[in-house]
Amino acid sequence: MSIVDYRHELPVVEGRLTARQIEEIIVKPLGEKPDKKYFIALAISLTALGIGAVSVLWLLLKGTGIWGLNQPVGWAFDITNFVFWVGIGHAGTLISAILFLLRQKWRTGIARFAEAMTIFAVMTALIFPILHTGRPWLAGYLMPYPNQHQLWVNFTSPLVWDVFAVSTYFIVSFVFWYVGLIPDFATLRDRATSQLKKILYTVFSLGWRNSHRNWQHYEKAYMLLAGFATPLVLSVHTIVSFDFAVSIIPGWHTTIFPPYFVAGAIFSGFAMVVTVLIFVRKIFNMEEMITMNTLEKMNKIMLATGLMVGYAYSMEFFIAWYSGNPFEQFIFLNRALGPYAWAYWIMVSCNVLSPQLFWFKKIRRSIPAMFVISILINIGMWFERYVIVVSSLHRDYLPSSWGYFVPTIYDFGVLIGSFGLFFTLVILFTKALPVISISEVKAVADNAQPSHHGGNH
Amino acid sequence: MADNKDQNLDVNYWRSFEELNGDVKSLKLKHDEFHEGVTEDFDPEKNLSGISRRKFLALVGASAALAGAGCSDYREKGEIVAYNKKPEEIVIGKANYYSSTCSSCSLACGILIKTREGRPIKIDGNPDHPINKGKICAKGQASILNLYDPSRYQRPTKGNFGFRNDIDWKTVDKEIKNILTTNDGKEIAIVLHKVNSPTAIKVLEEFKNKYPTLKFYYYDLFDDGAKLSAFRKTHGVAALPVIKFEDAKIILALEGDFLGVDGNKLEQGRKFAERRDVDDTKNFSRVYSVEGNLSITGMNSDYRLRLSPVHQYEFVASLLNELILKRNIGGIALDGVAREVVSSVSLDSFASKHDLDKNVLKSLADDLANHRSDVLVFAGSILNEETHILVNLLNEVLGNSKLFSTTEINENLHEYSSKTEIENLVQSMKNGNVKLLIHFDSNPVYHLSKDFDYENALKNVANTVTLCIEENETAALSNYVLPINHNFESWGDASVRNGLFSLLQPVISPLYDTRQKEAILLHWMNDNVDNFDDKQYLNFLKNNWMTNVYPKINSPLTFDRYWNISLHDGVSQAKNKSQINYQFNRAALNSINKPKVSGNYCLTLTENLNIADGRFANNGWLQELPHPISKVTWDNYAAISHQTGKKINLKINDLVEISVHGKTKIFPVVLQPGLANNFINIELGFGRTHCPVIAADVGVNANHLLSKENFGSSNLYDNVTIKKVDGKGTVVTTQEHHNYDEALIQEAHKKRFIIIEGTVNQYLKDPKFVQTRPRHTLKNINKEHEYKDVKWAMSIDLNKCIGCGDCVVGCNVENNIPIVGKDQVGRGREMQWLRIDRYYSGTPENPKINVQPMLCQHCDQAPCENVCPVVATTHSPDGLNQMIYNRCVGTRYCSNNCPYKVRRFNFFNFRDNLKNSYYEQDSISLLHNPEVTVRSRGVMEKCTFCIQRIMDAREEVTRSGIKLKGTDVKTACQEACNTNAIKFGDMNDLESEINRYRNHDLGYVVLEDTNVRPNVTYIAKLRNSHSEEM
Repeated sequence: MSIVDYRHELPVVEGRLTARQIEEIIVKPLGEKPDKKYFIALAISLTALGIGAVSVLWLLLKGTGIWGLNQPVGWAFDITNFVFWVGIGHAGTLISAILFLLRQKWRTGIARFAEAMTIFAVMTALIFPILHTGRPWLAGYLMPYPNQHQLWVNFTSPLVWDVFAVSTYFIVSFVFWYVGLIPDFATLRDRATSQLKKILYTVFSLGWRNSHRNWQHYEKAYMLLAGFATPLVLSVHTIVSFDFAVSIIPGWHTTIFPPYFVAGAIFSGFAMVVTVLIFVRKIFNMEEMITMNTLEKMNKIMLATGLMVGYAYSMEFFIAWYSGNPFEQFIFLNRALGPYAWAYWIMVSCNVLSPQLFWFKKIRRSIPAMFVISILINIGMWFERYVIVVSSLHRDYLPSSWGYFVPTIYDFGVLIGSFGLFFTLVILFTKALPVISISEVKAVADNAQPSHHGGNH
Repeated sequence: MADNKDQNLDVNYWRSFEELNGDVKSLKLKHDEFHEGVTEDFDPEKNLSGISRRKFLALVGASAALAGAGCSDYREKGEIVAYNKKPEEIVIGKANYYSSTCSSCSLACGILIKTREGRPIKIDGNPDHPINKGKICAKGQASILNLYDPSRYQRPTKGNFGFRNDIDWKTVDKEIKNILTTNDGKEIAIVLHKVNSPTAIKVLEEFKNKYPTLKFYYYDLFDDGAKLSAFRKTHGVAALPVIKFEDAKIILALEGDFLGVDGNKLEQGRKFAERRDVDDTKNFSRVYSVEGNLSITGMNSDYRLRLSPVHQYEFVASLLNELILKRNIGGIALDGVAREVVSSVSLDSFASKHDLDKNVLKSLADDLANHRSDVLVFAGSILNEETHILVNLLNEVLGNSKLFSTTEINENLHEYSSKTEIENLVQSMKNGNVKLLIHFDSNPVYHLSKDFDYENALKNVANTVTLCIEENETAALSNYVLPINHNFESWGDASVRNGLFSLLQPVISPLYDTRQKEAILLHWMNDNVDNFDDKQYLNFLKNNWMTNVYPKINSPLTFDRYWNISLHDGVSQAKNKSQINYQFNRAALNSINKPKVSGNYCLTLTENLNIADGRFANNGWLQELPHPISKVTWDNYAAISHQTGKKINLKINDLVEISVHGKTKIFPVVLQPGLANNFINIELGFGRTHCPVIAADVGVNANHLLSKENFGSSNLYDNVTIKKVDGKGTVVTTQEHHNYDEALIQEAHKKRFIIIEGTVNQYLKDPKFVQTRPRHTLKNINKEHEYKDVKWAMSIDLNKCIGCGDCVVGCNVENNIPIVGKDQVGRGREMQWLRIDRYYSGTPENPKINVQPMLCQHCDQAPCENVCPVVATTHSPDGLNQMIYNRCVGTRYCSNNCPYKVRRFNFFNFRDNLKNSYYEQDSISLLHNPEVTVRSRGVMEKCTFCIQRIMDAREEVTRSGIKLKGTDVKTACQEACNTNAIKFGDMNDLESEINRYRNHDLGYVVLEDTNVRPNVTYIAKLRNSHSEEM
């Protein structure tokens, strides 16, 4: 084991890259024609998206019945996917907003990408609240808008809270992301060789001139937006969890849900970011900016949030026992031992057991290990929502109404389609915009902040 | 300018020299406003590219208009013409009711047909009818769907084996008349089911007088032949007396399902429920049920013993031994065969042999001995004659003649044909001695045992006529298929009791080119068959009533008035009924040889309560109505006990091959708790081969197992073998998607106080036992809404509910509930707003069974309401939980949050989704209740407490300026409930019945702990056992 030198901060950007080199590396993918690998990746994700599109078309033509839903399981893949994708988004906001406020410089290498994933994940998630309704063409009814019928939405319904929470989240994340992009747009504008790019970047850079005044306003705005986005990290998944917690169904009606959901969201979001970044840093030669140290820190966060969800799982059982409520006790026993025990144990082994490997530094710093574990966490977190949604519904109060949910190919079709949409957007993003914030990385690189001590400190 | 003007007016400009020179062609051109080719008429034969510009534009316009019109809003289709001359009897928006008689089975219950704007939409029981007293079973209610069934034959057809051509009635009449009048001495045969109409019998008789070579062949898939013949032997009367269940203190049912398929379940159920009144618990009857199958009666009995029906003979003999020889009861000295039979057995050894609970048997024997004349022993018609004779002896020993009416008997207007007679018919058919074979609304190819070889014989008959309403197996093999009127399009009468006559009247003119079946025969009796008179049968009926019925009634009125009043009432009853005397004839005891019982399996082929002998197989409502016990829909199956299942290593939906004396058939298996071991039950009426689409591919035809070598009764078989075969069945149920014996969920319904039950003795000792159960009451954090005016509530008495499911169909018909089909039931998407939950407790061998109708509880603090994001479900000022279909976007959150899971979601447009939009055809739209929205895809729905009826009542009282009372409204399920288990009304009315039930000592609400405050109260079930414990 190497001895860590605690007298110096770990360099955020390795390899003593100059500002120019940083810019070159980040901008490189934007200038190059996409290669074969890129098209293969795009073809795969577009195929997945196509499968989803066909499933959705059939859904719109025939009705919700093409899914496997039934009485009593009124929600299954649809809401599972929704919560899963909203959760994925959380890592981005946490990294860009909270870590920014906490002055965590290592965030700069991954913030842009994580933020983009937030936006794409929320876009993907937003499909489900619309598609899960029986009459998606009337989904506008969920918006409070003045109308002659004097119809109004029901402000006591968590689904309406969802509409506000998720749309606010999307808008704020998008604005935050865009504001962060402005200096980079200006850089791209200045480097652009083609007329079209020049015009586009000029428009998007909103007249950025790198002036002190620009920077001063920018820093203020960025700080304010970070402050604004921070509570959203907590509020969005809290409100999503209210969809369940506000109901009276045992297994849903649980006060632990808000913190448990937020922890789970960060957990799954980090896993997804790690999964994707492992590839991005390799393919685009960005190992020096998305460093192993950064990945290790993310793995530590996964370990911490994994422990939190593990705690939540055990606390649910404890409270079920402690409450003395027979319905509550039954639902948790049924989760672990009933027809959906397989899903429950997949969830526990993926979410609680697999991150424990991150206690070992070697594993934390091993690319293949973290790839496998992050994938497992993604699977586990999808199953966590599946277990919550389906296993609570399938056996609630009256044994006469119990049922079992069996997904159909269309359930899988839409699930695959959601991954298709997300990854298509991610893949297009890598070629359309700088995946790492140029200005921010420059600012944290060695020698960026001149000092009396020769730059290292 | 002026010059120019003049020039324009006067001068003939020339445009060419040809014109100037007066060339004809040029002048013509000038005369025509447009060039040739610009205005010619469109002729598609010509080259289309030659279409003129003008025509082209016209065509474009026309096609656009056509496309616009063709794809326009469905509401604009066709013209809506109001009644410009209003029919006298119709007030638009008001229903008319006509009394008639049900012909869904041969019991002829009185019905009231509700019509709206001239179309029948609902069937209720006729309250004036003395037998069914305002109630009608599921089949009767659902028969309205058969009227509008899109598959009904619409015109006569003629042809051979698959090649069928339409033919008009005139030609049919002529051709048949020719055959009838050919005098070659060959036989004319009419094959028909039981006929309960005196006038139809008269038509048949006159037909026979006209054509003397005619013979009748009466048969039914289910008859009480053995029971009837035993009664004739013991009592000398070929008709069963009406039993006074209401007077019986102890009822012993031996494989007898008096609440189900044995006899008139409406009458018997009502009488049974009369002695299940919680306000008169001392008068509770006690029902012992000894059966191999699990029947509705067994489900509702206080004690139940499992016994294969082949052993019933020995069981009755053992009881006789116990009573006569051991306890010296009855004063009947047995001799001869009877003495031998009775003394050779004993109750104790019988109990040990068949593993019966000796304590139960002892209390049974005690009850029989102590209550004697108040004990009724009721044997099911599936048992053999010998057993019935012993049962009649047992009743005689008990001296319970007061339980059998001496004034009311179940009359039979004719006898069934014997096996030999049908064999002879088949022989004549094969020999070509039958020149005309008429199937009078019967389907012998499907029903008759293959032993008769009827199907093959049919091929040798030159002329086969089948009168039927829609496709069936017999029609498929007939030359002439003549479509007949539905019951609701027909005139007729019925008499099933002495001195009781009821009338059928048409409530809609025939939808298609059909004729009433009696009228067809009547017409063929005319010398001239050129002109069909559709009044002929009505006149015949009237005449028959004038000469045969009217005198019997002794009415003081003139015949015309009497006729009108009878038509209005639907029923007419003779005031003085003759006494019928029957005495026990001991000579009958000489023919009670002990039947030989093999060690193999016993099989009963029983009637399915919903689809009867297969005639309702095309009725989606009945196919989808869950079996009252197994909750299976759209299927029949081999039911076997858990132990037997374990023995042969069977699980639900495994396939078994069942062999009955050389006949084999493969069935899916259902492990039915409570069945006797080594016993199989299969229901008939399924597996139709030639049938309309709904009935197609539903179940297995168990008629193939019917054999002449039966156990003394046509549907009871011994020495049956069962073998597991490869493959899986597709039986689907609406309940129990979990293992019955999972430890985690056993007795969950009792632990959760969903079902609360006790015993009569416990209740007498501690009337508050239901209220003193452990309860958790939560406090409200918000102020409760006050309901100052009417507040609707329902109570369901679990002592009276027998779980038959009639209410479910009543609700289906009233509320336009879609039929979803087998695959959707398999997915758990049945749409019935009201379901009957069935719970087992105890062991799978001897389960205690509870049933509980479950519907929207209309909670005061409805959890569905606060989670709907668009306020599509709300609370009304009179306490109803309402659905606003237009506003619903279908998030299903309400359903998820409903603890009772009574909300139903339209996962598809179910009418469109089922079997190629079968139920979206034109005729079906006539069926719908116009007061209830037909829900579209993606919308949640649920029980509304029949809001349309409440609104109707409200309008009525508003018009008359009085106050709405709770009793003004009856829900559809309440009306359908034969045992009056369902009460509905205004709980704020302190005087009302509903208020009393709501505050009853035995009343409870389900899931009280959730504090949702339901408005449906259940009255806890009391079992009339001896002890205080269950």
